[in-house]
Amino acid sequence: MSKRRFSSGWTALHIYGAAFLIFLYAPLALITVYSFNSNALNMAVWTGFTFDWYRTLFGMQPAGAAFDAAFTENPDRIFGVLRNSLIVALSASAISTVIGTATALATARYDFVGKRIYQALLFMPMIMPDIVLGIALLIFFVGVGFKLSLATIIIGHCTFLSSYVYIIVAARLAGMDNTLEVASADLGAGPVTTFRRVTLPLIMPGVIGGFLLAFIISLDDVVITYFIAGVDTQTLPLFILAMVRRGIRPQINALAVLLIMFSFVVASAGLYFRSRRN
Amino acid sequence: MAERSTISSQRRKALFVLLTPITLLLGAFFLIPLGIMVVYSFLEPGLYGGVVWSFYPYNYGRIFGWPLGGGEEFEPLYIQIILNSLYYAALTVIVTLVVCYPVAFWVSRMGPLAKNIVLFAITLPFFANLLVRIYAWLLLLRPTGAVNTALLSLGIIDQPLNMIFTEFAVIVGLVYVLTPFMFLPIYASVERLDWSLVQASQDLGATPFQTFRRVILPLTAPGIAGGCVIVFIPALGNFIVPSFLGGSKVQMTGNVIERQFLQARNWPFGSTLAMIVMASVLLLVLAYTLWMRRAANNERLAGAGHV
Repeated sequence: MSKRRFSSGWTALHIYGAAFLIFLYAPLALITVYSFNSNALNMAVWTGFTFDWYRTLFGMQPAGAAFDAAFTENPDRIFGVLRNSLIVALSASAISTVIGTATALATARYDFVGKRIYQALLFMPMIMPDIVLGIALLIFFVGVGFKLSLATIIIGHCTFLSSYVYIIVAARLAGMDNTLEVASADLGAGPVTTFRRVTLPLIMPGVIGGFLLAFIISLDDVVITYFIAGVDTQTLPLFILAMVRRGIRPQINALAVLLIMFSFVVASAGLYFRSRRN
Repeated sequence: MAERSTISSQRRKALFVLLTPITLLLGAFFLIPLGIMVVYSFLEPGLYGGVVWSFYPYNYGRIFGWPLGGGEEFEPLYIQIILNSLYYAALTVIVTLVVCYPVAFWVSRMGPLAKNIVLFAITLPFFANLLVRIYAWLLLLRPTGAVNTALLSLGIIDQPLNMIFTEFAVIVGLVYVLTPFMFLPIYASVERLDWSLVQASQDLGATPFQTFRRVILPLTAPGIAGGCVIVFIPALGNFIVPSFLGGSKVQMTGNVIERQFLQARNWPFGSTLAMIVMASVLLLVLAYTLWMRRAANNERLAGAGHV
């Protein structure tokens, strides 16, 4: 009797869980379907399958005969924006990976005065609302006379990405004892050799995972970039923001789908490395 | 003795190398900018977006009604917007909590493979671009959007429902974007839940509701509290969700801050509003830390009592 009640509750929970997953993915699936809909006027009504929104996004000729020229995007802009985004994401995540990993090594392997202050400080950029960090950096850069550019975006991203990498690598170091490092030191290896030959290979999955997740968070950042990008520098999310503000057009769907797919691939790899055991 | 001092000097050198980068980064590009923002909130707005370097507490007076001076007037609108933002953030916390809590139990009772797959599926949308995720809800909720088109063609309604640019749309958007933040901490505490205690409670004749209230809820409270804090914070400062899904009808503090910086160009007043957001966040985090510390102490004392 009671077992039966439990199993009906379990069925209800299954249905609820499935509904939750649908809630998470349905909006993304909707954009994907829309991005292949040839109906230029009303996305919600299906008129046929097309690749035109993807083709015109990159300046290729549309295959559909009745194609409105107003829907084409200037491909040079898109490639420029893409380049900016990749430069920012690669530099910011590489710098943050080095800084975050170094910090994680310090807090995991050494005791020093003010360690708890550092640990608290490292959480601050992650809990600070994006808008506060964005405007604080804007005031600072303008105040000290830094020209807003790709460099200011990279610096801005490093302030919060270093904390992400720190947390991922520190978690890995916490789950690992230092026997091998001690052994290596006892055998006469210097600290640099020990790091290169013993510690780094052991924490490598965490470092790669941290780098990939930092990369994708940087690539997708909207709010902080929005404030410190300046007028003539645009990243992909800012480009999409400007497109949406000009009016909803089917090409936004195509660009959105490409961005989601790319993010999902990189983030999956990052999550895999982060959780991998040696 | 000599060897020992080489080791300690080596240690110091290593620590110096490891900690200098983060110290410079967070010092120069995090603490100093926030400090300057605090200073700006006490400066007089100049003409054409500049500032006048004189002590000027009246930016706060414009919001709270005191102190007033320098031609600033009390504008109750801002208190209203701040209270609204707190209300939307709180509502987002409650909805995400109610949505995620049962899901955490669902996932925790799965087999290892299914569990890993579902956990991955719940985490992944967090990495889809924020704008794209909000844009999707614009496509769903607008008058010619997917929801209205479906309901109209099924004959359930004969006029499009007015969903976009409402409080409802803003809450839905915030909930959608912040759900992973609530789910993960709750899941972590449900996963650690000791089911033998639940069994014991049932064996001793507790009703399911009593078991939930007296056993399950207190044991998962740390996860609930953590989730609430990390959902509330980004919800409070959000401006992308209300500007996409709230239009000009639903305003949050973030929208006002954005306008002060990019349109009205009154940076001191924008900094003042940002200070209020930052102060609320820091207070909340402080309260959470103290609460967690007390909970940990209580647990230790209870543990000692058993022995």
